[in-house]
Amino acid sequence: MNDLRARVAEIIAADRARRGARSGDESAAPASGWRAAADSSRSPLRHAGAGDAPLPYEVREQRLDVDGLGLEIVGRGAVDPLLVAHLGLKGEPPRRWEDILFLDTETTGLSGGTGTYVFLLGIAYLADGQLILQQHMLRDLSAESAFVEHLKGVLEPFRACASYNGKTFDLPLLRTRFVMAIRSDLTVDESHLDLLHPARRLWKDRFGSTTLRQLEESVLDDGRVTDIPGSLIPDAYFHYLRRGDESIIAPVLLHNARDVVSLVRIADRVARAVLAARSGRAPDHAPAAFALARVFERTGELDAAHACYESAYFDGDNELRVKVALPYARHLERRGDAARVVQMLETLLALGLGSERWREQAEARTRRLTRKCQRQLATAS
Amino acid sequence: MRTSVRFPARTSLEQILDGLTRDASFQEMVTRWERIPAKPARYAPFPEWLDGRIAAALRRRGINELYSHQVAALESTRAGRHTVIVTPTASGKTLCYNLPVLDAIAKEQTARALYIFPTKALSQDQLAELERESTDMDIELKTYTYDGDTPPAVRAAIRSAGHVVITNPDMLHTGILPHHTKWVKLFENLRYVVLDELHTYRGVFGSHVANVLRRLRRICEFYGSHPVFICTSATIANPDELAREHIEDDVVVIDESGAPRGEKVLVFVNPPVVNRGLGVRQSALLTGRDIAATLLASGVQTISFARSRVETELLLTYLRARFPQPQWPHDLIRGYRGGYLPSERRAIERGLRDGTVRGVVSTNALELGIDIGALQAAVLLGYPGTVASTWQQMGRAGRREELSAAFLVASSSPTDQYVVQHPEYVLDRSPEAGLVNPDNLHVLVHHLKCAAFEIPFETRERFGTEDTPGVLAYLDEQGVLHESGGKYHWSDQSFPAEVTSLRTATNDNVVIVDTTGPAPRTVGSEYHDGKVKIIGEIDRFAAQVMLHEQAIYLHEGKQLQVERLDWDNAKAYVREVKVDYYTQAELAVRIRVIDEFERHSSQKGFDLAHGEVLVSTLTTIYKKLTMYTHENVGWGKIHLPEQELQTTSFWTSLPERAIAGWPRERVEVALAGLGNLLHGLAPLFLMCDPHDLGLAVEVRSPHTERPTIYLFDMTPGGIGFAERLFKSAQPLFARAREHLAACGCQTGCPSCVGPAYALGTDVRDAVAHLLSLA
Repeated sequence: MNDLRARVAEIIAADRARRGARSGDESAAPASGWRAAADSSRSPLRHAGAGDAPLPYEVREQRLDVDGLGLEIVGRGAVDPLLVAHLGLKGEPPRRWEDILFLDTETTGLSGGTGTYVFLLGIAYLADGQLILQQHMLRDLSAESAFVEHLKGVLEPFRACASYNGKTFDLPLLRTRFVMAIRSDLTVDESHLDLLHPARRLWKDRFGSTTLRQLEESVLDDGRVTDIPGSLIPDAYFHYLRRGDESIIAPVLLHNARDVVSLVRIADRVARAVLAARSGRAPDHAPAAFALARVFERTGELDAAHACYESAYFDGDNELRVKVALPYARHLERRGDAARVVQMLETLLALGLGSERWREQAEARTRRLTRKCQRQLATAS
Repeated sequence: MRTSVRFPARTSLEQILDGLTRDASFQEMVTRWERIPAKPARYAPFPEWLDGRIAAALRRRGINELYSHQVAALESTRAGRHTVIVTPTASGKTLCYNLPVLDAIAKEQTARALYIFPTKALSQDQLAELERESTDMDIELKTYTYDGDTPPAVRAAIRSAGHVVITNPDMLHTGILPHHTKWVKLFENLRYVVLDELHTYRGVFGSHVANVLRRLRRICEFYGSHPVFICTSATIANPDELAREHIEDDVVVIDESGAPRGEKVLVFVNPPVVNRGLGVRQSALLTGRDIAATLLASGVQTISFARSRVETELLLTYLRARFPQPQWPHDLIRGYRGGYLPSERRAIERGLRDGTVRGVVSTNALELGIDIGALQAAVLLGYPGTVASTWQQMGRAGRREELSAAFLVASSSPTDQYVVQHPEYVLDRSPEAGLVNPDNLHVLVHHLKCAAFEIPFETRERFGTEDTPGVLAYLDEQGVLHESGGKYHWSDQSFPAEVTSLRTATNDNVVIVDTTGPAPRTVGSEYHDGKVKIIGEIDRFAAQVMLHEQAIYLHEGKQLQVERLDWDNAKAYVREVKVDYYTQAELAVRIRVIDEFERHSSQKGFDLAHGEVLVSTLTTIYKKLTMYTHENVGWGKIHLPEQELQTTSFWTSLPERAIAGWPRERVEVALAGLGNLLHGLAPLFLMCDPHDLGLAVEVRSPHTERPTIYLFDMTPGGIGFAERLFKSAQPLFARAREHLAACGCQTGCPSCVGPAYALGTDVRDAVAHLLSLA
């Protein structure tokens, strides 16, 4: 037996070395990082729901005031279907803000597959002018079936959800757990607002990265001082499973709660930017204006698209202008402003901008429109 | 092709063979000229229960009856029994599994099947075939290949809608099993699993595959399905044993082929001895080149099989020299081996099918059922190492019902010489077996982790080895698993299937980067990345011999010199050169016994044992040898770190009295000679490549305290060769005695104990003396 152990140990050590050589090997990082984070933080969440009976999973709930969160659009009035199209919607637009379940999961790994557990689901929804924040945490892997059955009950009333990168990460993982544990499917994402995509459109170019952490700092001006890095969360949870020490998992709960709340606030900021553009105030950052213009075209809001194109073209540098010019030209042509198109493209061509292929396209369009203008002039006279 | 236009090929091949029988100098080399007559077909009627649409479609194609073995396969699989079909190339094996699958889906639309082929190339062929059949039969059947090349956009559709999913063991390992929840439809309704080319799943690769199949069955169990396995295999001695190792259940073997066979000529060629005293023969390479050139010049489409990558390239160079441009088209002859890029290989396969490529020089890469159409002749440079491979390679010629020919040209290695002097070894039924060791601890632990990732383990569950609970408990202590509620859960961030590759035990390859320049040089597509491009990759063990600095590496007939070998980052930078030599590295081997598993001490003979050893290998110098004449024209040093290999070994030690009174030199010579002889013949017992088995000798072993010969498994952890040799040591010694007695040399030659001029003039006598005591 000792011999076997020694040999298995060698095999595992070799594996670890190999993995370490491949990536920066974060799993080998010392555990002290998250412990420090645990000590210097206090969970603001009050314990609710579980009662005294030792459940294998745990539910925490808190209610937050919508005004206190600084929400202007989300949670107020009816849902504008054209607006949610800007929030990364896939599926039918939900009718009320109350219908949308904001969610974020914490998992035992990033790789996906059947061996990655969802151990914590953070959700938030609007009710009676308040934001209800709930956290559902699995405390024992062997109770996963009961936990997932419980989650099914939590998720079932909702047919729409909002997430940050949930289309590729959280929902597939949840789906896997549903099949593994109770052979069931999910319906919560029949409509899905994945805010990662609009966030990228609006802020990627400006802030370089669009992690929630970055957006809290740059967009909400409310950065995190102490926070457990995402890469340490799986190990913190494994540690918690073995030790049962609540202080190990507290920072993870805090992290997740902040993620969910930020998700709601970011959705509000995206909505605000969209509404501002509609009323003629396009984003003052040119690449974001350009990205918005294209979405407005898709949703058929041509005036808003126009304002954004305009802003992108005038505020942008030459490189961006070249990028904007052709779609903007199509847009202008549809509005019947061929003369503007000719003028714009001729200017860019005269400046010697753009790739060869771009110049060919621009020249062709200019020629065609010039002829058209001449014909119109001829018939008019 | 200008040469093939005037004469129909059949006449041409007949005439060439006729010419060769009249050629006295050629006949001197021939040890056997075997004409295998055509064999008529044996038919059986369609089973009554077979879906009417299938029978109707087959009749429309002019098939009114099936071959007898096809019907046997249908009946056996219908009875729910795992079935192995062992029949020759082109005997209609595909229908043996396609018909049961088509019938099941015709009767029940929800039924699913999983096809596993050893390579991606084979999957592509099968896909086309199955689609054609189901369209003909008007059965709604969606077939997809699911491998690394499958676009992400269509993957979701395949998972839920594919009736037949075609994949390979590697994709099953990393892409399907760890994501089984996305394949619920497949696993819930899985009726058949087809394992094609079962004989390739042996050795380390086979041991990995056997574990992947354990995981597959575990997942089927989870979803409540119990698929029937249908395997096909080339002729091996133990198809039932090999299949049982993989399926871990009883199997039915069907090995009576009902298919017809065209007339076939098999010629065993032993190149002439050019120096009787030294026992040196003309090289198989040059003799083989002459035969292949004769065939090619008459427009006979010919495949040549070489034993190694280097030989493939050498033969390609030689043959191209025989057919210079512009008189001959430049892609008349192509090379084909591992290390070429897939796109390059696909282009060559197409060329062979449509006839633009008339000749191909290949390693055993083309031995599998890759569709390259019907070739007329095959030339084998050296015995391929196993009888099964020999038949597979010879079978590459003459898939149609017409005359074909295959030539086996022996090299001077002991194995080759044994085979060419005893052609019946190949012609009669093979004594070889396909070995796997699914419980090799290295292999098993990897897959146990993958399995735990897929579905938590019950505390008492068994996965192969009896000591599963012990391994699970250990992994729990290590934090890789977490025990709770009677189950072991995966508790690690990693994705274990990605850590393990099925193809090599060592897991990493050295990439070959050509820095010659941007100019396009060869046909076919390559990855151009600015100035450099990657032309292939080679595993680390081979790399220390083939890619050391200053080595001449051959690729598509081009000579490339290794300018820099970045061992840590596994990259070799090469540049094209024109030189008239090639290089050969020498490997120094040291061995230490860690654990002795079993020993057999004999009163009069040699002591035998097997156990675990640590082998250290070090490449120290390389030689420069001239092309064609193989003269040594220089050498250089190699600076590479020592490689360590922990594996299993068989060893035998000599009794003191065997060497009583001998001077140390004589003991050294005798040991080296006996080692060469045993190492040369052992692969015949093991159905392995000689390269899978390592040799080391010690005049006084620290472990046995006697002169000792080690034959060890080249795979980390070993796959069972050592124990097999331990058990069959006496027959091995007997065959060695017989071979030595029959060898035509006087004092020792490369075909028996090794060249006397290198070892010592009394080597043959000394070895004969030792063997008389064994």
